[in-house]
Amino acid sequence: MAEQRGLGAAHAGMFPNLRRDVAFPVVGVGLLFGAFIAVGLLYQSLFSGAAERLVTIALIDAIIVLGIQIYVGNTGVLSFGHIGFGAIAGYTFAIFAIAPAEKAKRIPDAPFGLTNVDVGSWAAVAIAVAVTVVVAVFVGIGLARSGAESGAVAATVITLALLFVTHEVARHWPEMTGGERAGLSFRIGGALDTRVPIYLALAGALVLARLFAQSRRGRLAKAGREDDLAARAMGVNPMVQQMIALLISVVVVSIGASLRVYETGSILPENFFFNYTLLTLAMLIVGGRNSVTGALFGVAVMTVGRELARRLGQDGFEVFGLGLDSAPLDWIFRENLQTVFFGVAMLGFMIWRPKGLLSDWEFDDWLYRRFTRTQSPPEVPEASMDSEQDARLEVDNVSVVFGGFQALSQSGVEVSSGEVVGIIGPNGAGKTTLLNIITGIITPSSGQVRLNGTDLVGTPSHEIARAGLVRTFQNLRLFGSLTVRENVQVTRLVAIAEHDDRSTPETDVLVAAAGLWDQRDRRAGELDYGNSRRLELARAAAARPLFLLLDEPTSGMSDTESLAMVEQVQTMAALVGAGVVVIDHDLDFITGICDRIYCLDRGSVIAVGTPDEIQADPAVQAAYLGSSAS
Amino acid sequence: MTELLQNLIDGLGRGSIYALLALGVAVIFGVMHLLNFAHGELITVSGYVAFWTISEGWSWYLVTPIIIGTAIVTSLVIERVAFSRVRGSSDFTLLLTSFGVHFVVSAIFLLYVSASVKTFSRPRWVTNTYSIGSLHIEVFDTVVIGVTLVTLLATSWLVQRTMFGLALRAAAADFDTARLMGVRSDTVIRGAFALSGLLAGIAGVFWLMRAGNTVPSAGIAPMLKGVLAALIGGLGSLRGAVLGGFVLGLAEVLLRSRLPDSVASLTEGFVFLLIALLFIFRPQGLIRVAHAERV
Repeated sequence: MAEQRGLGAAHAGMFPNLRRDVAFPVVGVGLLFGAFIAVGLLYQSLFSGAAERLVTIALIDAIIVLGIQIYVGNTGVLSFGHIGFGAIAGYTFAIFAIAPAEKAKRIPDAPFGLTNVDVGSWAAVAIAVAVTVVVAVFVGIGLARSGAESGAVAATVITLALLFVTHEVARHWPEMTGGERAGLSFRIGGALDTRVPIYLALAGALVLARLFAQSRRGRLAKAGREDDLAARAMGVNPMVQQMIALLISVVVVSIGASLRVYETGSILPENFFFNYTLLTLAMLIVGGRNSVTGALFGVAVMTVGRELARRLGQDGFEVFGLGLDSAPLDWIFRENLQTVFFGVAMLGFMIWRPKGLLSDWEFDDWLYRRFTRTQSPPEVPEASMDSEQDARLEVDNVSVVFGGFQALSQSGVEVSSGEVVGIIGPNGAGKTTLLNIITGIITPSSGQVRLNGTDLVGTPSHEIARAGLVRTFQNLRLFGSLTVRENVQVTRLVAIAEHDDRSTPETDVLVAAAGLWDQRDRRAGELDYGNSRRLELARAAAARPLFLLLDEPTSGMSDTESLAMVEQVQTMAALVGAGVVVIDHDLDFITGICDRIYCLDRGSVIAVGTPDEIQADPAVQAAYLGSSAS
Repeated sequence: MTELLQNLIDGLGRGSIYALLALGVAVIFGVMHLLNFAHGELITVSGYVAFWTISEGWSWYLVTPIIIGTAIVTSLVIERVAFSRVRGSSDFTLLLTSFGVHFVVSAIFLLYVSASVKTFSRPRWVTNTYSIGSLHIEVFDTVVIGVTLVTLLATSWLVQRTMFGLALRAAAADFDTARLMGVRSDTVIRGAFALSGLLAGIAGVFWLMRAGNTVPSAGIAPMLKGVLAALIGGLGSLRGAVLGGFVLGLAEVLLRSRLPDSVASLTEGFVFLLIALLFIFRPQGLIRVAHAERV
């Protein structure tokens, strides 16, 4: 259960649990790799001739699809641009790897004297990777900026634009690329004599893809994939994770693309354009984009499907010697059937099974659960090792206007460590707005939010979270397809990087403290309402914040559940040593848990005091009951 | 100065077509948050209809309404067959669905018609020009700009002054609330697809008149122009889409005429580069649309 048994913090920082996140994935992908190759070799020995090349192509496709999976699967951003990166890598590789004598025929006047450059194939791969990564850095900056403003859709269009730019340049820069018709080529009939480099690259791609998904960075990226806003509120900056995922995936795609060019022996603009984009994306989608196992499975399934479609198109129904009279169908099953096949497969899966055949199932994850004994829940300590944090949160005179509506006017709240402060008020009083201001989701038109004297207004959400203000969401924004444990772990990983490792409670302790031990391996999206609320609390607490900001933690709960929540909040706050600011409607809950209460009405603070004082306050009664008692 | 004026007129002509395409993309993005990569397929289908009818000897006056009708019907069919089934899905699913539609449509033409270029005769006046002072103006550009202005005014009236327009704007602002308020989602979405088809049809007529041919992959270029222009303008903004179309047209004409001959063939590449720069410095596009997200 201890997450880093005697291992250095560096390991713990990169991989939460070496057995689960490194050992099992490596063994798992090793077995997958073996199975994939075995199926390929078996097929090859059964159907000789063209089968060998079919398998070679599938192996290379697998490398490129895995490269795309690293980005698309972990960040959730759809990229049409990876084949564009492939084109850049492919051409760079060809220009550097082809012998000067061959180049003199096609591109005698290449700029920078590239015609006479002769570096050998393996150096050419390295150069191709380097050049493509440099381009990817610039594309990544554009993606991050537009993605932050306009969401994933804008990012996708940028990747599409990249695909077109590379295609345009490849077509219209014949001095460098050999142009649209001739292209660049090695000697006739392919240049790669052995499959060893392909095997090595595929094994490497598999290991890299799996390890990245399990690494700290990969987990943070997945949090952003699940819910960008919630990830930011937990201290994750999805843009940084997306950039890292992009660069790693581009390295893999570049190597795959170089091998593809080397194996084919030539490159044309068409080789790395729309059709190949469709083919690779369809493989990824059909198999399951959020899973490495799925990506590999998708390559296998679609390769078989394509081959069947091709034969159907060529021979009608006489596939594999099965002769059927198919004359009426000949009109439908004709040559090039495989192009329709890929489009229809993609469309069909998007409509009926958008998560693909395997969804996010991982072979090594299954192995891990198979070969790991059930654990008993860890003991939950009373309080954290250093709960004597001394912090002060001051919200001073903040105002905000939404299109003419004064949501908050000159409101202020002060909280110190060890305190539990409640904010009550009728609907529309501005409670959630206040929380949104504190956590940087809304910028106030005036006023300050100070944490230990530092003004946080204008600071990005994820930095505010790291500074120690972490919230829950009234409308539940869990990382739905991650497990309960992973939800808590993500925030904890941020906390570990930010604070001293030891003082942040273990993931399992937090899960147990939230009463979710039995549910720990379920997806957060499958939890019932009460458990989802408890997980929201545990996830926020895992950041080990100075202040926990709870937005209606009992909303939708029964009276008994609400009462249990009082204890839960107190346990969690004590465990991580955090002060609490809680918003709620439920007066019993609020008075049961709070030391002090602020009452908001129509954007202004109308009363402050102990629970008893607040309950007796006539202005509060008026606001709540709508009576004209005052 | 004259050259600049000439560029301006050429750019307006080109930009008009892009504006119509972008507006069609933006209308659909508004009602279902779908960026329609299949938008160009309306022109692919129309292109084959134009080829078949014109090679039968029909005149362009007759073919024009047929093309527009084809685009509207195709738009509605695509909505019915594919997009209606993924309403409310994630951006990822929506994007790939439209990408899939694009491929299936073009692959069907590739398979069951022909991979080769099908040419048809263009109306004679397309290449005519007339002069004002030292400016040479294409009759074609004049017609395009005129028709586009009328279309944009009519669309603006439709969106601002009719019940359908109100429903469309309400749905674009907040689809769920609009539904609760009694806006019928089916009607609005189908209406949006019909409007988008109509706009693509008008743009398609001009596109095909100028091209005089079609291939299975003919939809890629107009799709890309429409999508990029909508993005330049600011996704979700109808006004932005129109503006984006004109900006894109002008940028292309200016670059093509100003770039040295040696790199003129890379104009499209430079346009993309400019767009990339725009997004780095102004990631929300020209017109910012508030994305309301409830927290």
